[in-house]
Amino acid sequence: MQKIPLIRATAGMILARDVFRSEQANGVPICGKDTELTEPLVARLGKLNIQSVYVHGHPLWEEGDQSLDEILRDLDGRFEKVRQDPLTAKLYDIYADYLTRSMGESGGRKAE
Amino acid sequence: MDEKRNELKKIIMDTRTLPTLPGVINKLNSLSDNDKSSVQEMARIVSSDQVLSARILRLANSPSYGFYRVSTISNAMILLGVNVVKSLALSSSIFEIMEKNSVGLWEHSLGTGVAANLIATKLGLPECEEIATAGLLHDIGKVIISIKCSEAEEEVRRVIDEKRVYMREAEQEIIDTDHAEVGGWLAKSWFLPDKLSEPINCHHDVEASGNHRIKTAAVHMADVLIKASGFGDSGDHYVPQIQQAAWDALKLNEQIIAELVEDLEDKLVEVKNFSLELQQGGDAPAR
Repeated sequence: MQKIPLIRATAGMILARDVFRSEQANGVPICGKDTELTEPLVARLGKLNIQSVYVHGHPLWEEGDQSLDEILRDLDGRFEKVRQDPLTAKLYDIYADYLTRSMGESGGRKAE
Repeated sequence: MDEKRNELKKIIMDTRTLPTLPGVINKLNSLSDNDKSSVQEMARIVSSDQVLSARILRLANSPSYGFYRVSTISNAMILLGVNVVKSLALSSSIFEIMEKNSVGLWEHSLGTGVAANLIATKLGLPECEEIATAGLLHDIGKVIISIKCSEAEEEVRRVIDEKRVYMREAEQEIIDTDHAEVGGWLAKSWFLPDKLSEPINCHHDVEASGNHRIKTAAVHMADVLIKASGFGDSGDHYVPQIQQAAWDALKLNEQIIAELVEDLEDKLVEVKNFSLELQQGGDAPAR
């Protein structure tokens, strides 16, 4: 599952979560989970001021986010000066755990 | 060395070339201290500047503040309160200076504003919107250094690349001061309140903060979190060390940090969206 900005959503992507007005998860969903996006639907969501949607898989691959390994290598690079500091090392562990979980869920494209 | 720093201070603080804030901001500031001034009067003053109004509305509807669907200035005044609108007026004016300067730094600042707001909300800190504003503005010194001393800025970038050091270390080496201090000078010359200038001045040295330790700590942590996320480009890509003084002042623990990381990553998708829209010409006020 991946959360993507609506302006990057394209026809064929499949919603992984219900879409709510103003992103408040109470009230009636505008569009249900597992709906396949079409161009008119994306346009309509845009008019309703929806900012982002959750979609199945990990459809948006940009330079720099090809694999979990690379993401973690970047994280290591960012933390290279502070890994020895106990407080900042905690943040490193939390981030590494978060990234691993968010990439691992059904969407991690390993080799393609 | 002191000479170099003083000379730089003189160059930076040369008011003839210093970016100025719109007169509206000063009018607003003078009104706020006067209890008799009405909301309508303030709304009238803000609305008299169409570009500023548009920018305020744009920012009020941005993810860094998270107030969606505010469509008029008087609505904003009523819904958000006078202080929030004042913060918005200020940050939108400063943003204009920043946006032109560098998208990477602008994204870093926007992200830090979002993170500061999340921290303040999660910890139930008073004056959330001031903390968010201080987060947005914390690196304003970098903008001024780049506008005023572009040669020195190039040197700073070279030193960061060659020696793999933090930007502020490179700044100390080249210009004998750093962006936090410069930002502090600027905040003073703009007569910003201490609750904004102190977090700007001390975001790399929380121990040095006095009356506004909590706000400074929140901005420091927001900066650390956003650098950890890799969002935007603040000049170097190294996460700063979390300062014990900030950790203690905010009474943080691992659980809170883990929740903040989740919330922040969720929010950053919207921030990216917002930033992309602006870059793709969704910037209504510019038209």
